[in-house]
Amino acid sequence: MDNAIELKDVTIERGLFKMGPINLNIPKGYITAIVGPNGSGKTSIFRSILKQTNITSGEINVLNERIDDAENKEISQRIGYLMENQSFFDDGLVAHEKADFHRRWYNNWNEHIYKNCLHKFGISDNIRFKNMSKGMRRKYDFTVALSHEPELLILDEPSSGLDPIAWRSMIEVLNAYMDQGERTILMATHIIDEVKRLADFIVFMVDGKLLGMYEKDELLQNWATYYVEVNPHTQAVIATLPGLLSQKNIGSDRIEFTTSEAVNADALLKDSNITILNRQVLELDEILLYHMNKTTNKIFG
Amino acid sequence: MKLPITINEHSGEPLYLQIESQLRTLILSGVILSGTMLPSIRELASQMKCSVITIKRVYSDLEAEGIIRTKQGTGTYVLELQEGSFVKQKEEALREAIDQFLTTAKQLNADKATLKKLFEEAIDSLN
Repeated sequence: MDNAIELKDVTIERGLFKMGPINLNIPKGYITAIVGPNGSGKTSIFRSILKQTNITSGEINVLNERIDDAENKEISQRIGYLMENQSFFDDGLVAHEKADFHRRWYNNWNEHIYKNCLHKFGISDNIRFKNMSKGMRRKYDFTVALSHEPELLILDEPSSGLDPIAWRSMIEVLNAYMDQGERTILMATHIIDEVKRLADFIVFMVDGKLLGMYEKDELLQNWATYYVEVNPHTQAVIATLPGLLSQKNIGSDRIEFTTSEAVNADALLKDSNITILNRQVLELDEILLYHMNKTTNKIFG
Repeated sequence: MKLPITINEHSGEPLYLQIESQLRTLILSGVILSGTMLPSIRELASQMKCSVITIKRVYSDLEAEGIIRTKQGTGTYVLELQEGSFVKQKEEALREAIDQFLTTAKQLNADKATLKKLFEEAIDSLN
């Protein structure tokens, strides 16, 4: 698999904030979502990829170009970025004045996409930014971020401030964007449903550290809680289960347990003739919580 | 186009198999007509809340079976099915349905005689 972004042993240290070392490959042609609590370093990763923040050590490659100290205008032409918080310098501008700037700057600016996207969101570019609602501003910035047809789109909490209808439009626009050839999205989000609708790969990030990268369907299929019947050898079988995270007895004849390798557990339980009474896969936030608890346990012994 | 496919994420059956068998049944039963353009891989993945990797597998399996075809740059279409073809696939779809029936039967501890009686009654009510 070709990578759109490669981070090799990247660290960032700024005062009390320490991130890394991060080793991360973002595959080309897919949508990767970074999931983690606030302050875990998602935005810092984005800013370092865009060269808006200097890394302390390590190496970053984006679209097969090394990101280093030299100014590289070429690469910025191929990336679209939606920041988490909108900047305030252009508050006094009328929206289309910002588009004018982008139109001049980006060689690939596509007026058709720009107009279509505005239409889809039902917004006009004849309004001053300071007079826009938060949602309207978000829709506008989103439109501008993808109107130069970037190969790589970096989205920091894209749906913050969007109502459910606008959110649906955003999902549709992003799906259509991905269908135009080999394109890549790297996004940070708190919204579970957004990960489910969009992501192919999930990266967990907590407290400046990566806790793992997974293919979404594999991840969501493999974390499950079971309720099983107790027979003479149930305890022994459960003790050998791969990825066992927790277990407890429910009354005298049932056991509840959670595993991160449900596919293997299914086979083992079947071979051992243990009846599964119930099987529930975990939600993404529950899986994240397990990852977080694992790191805190390491820190506190 | 929204496909009437329902996923049970708790069942333990791999996602691609669930989507594949339902899509196959929709096509073989004529609910989706030949010539119909299916959603793009990305679009269907978004609808099913799964990754494109899963949908790529579904489409390439069904393409290998000769049920659908992907044309570069235009999309994925349902192929014309000959009368009397796909006997094996149709049987496969029925067997899957029977398996589900048997799973429930096992959970309820139903005996063979009851199952037979219910099954025959159900078949008789077909016409």
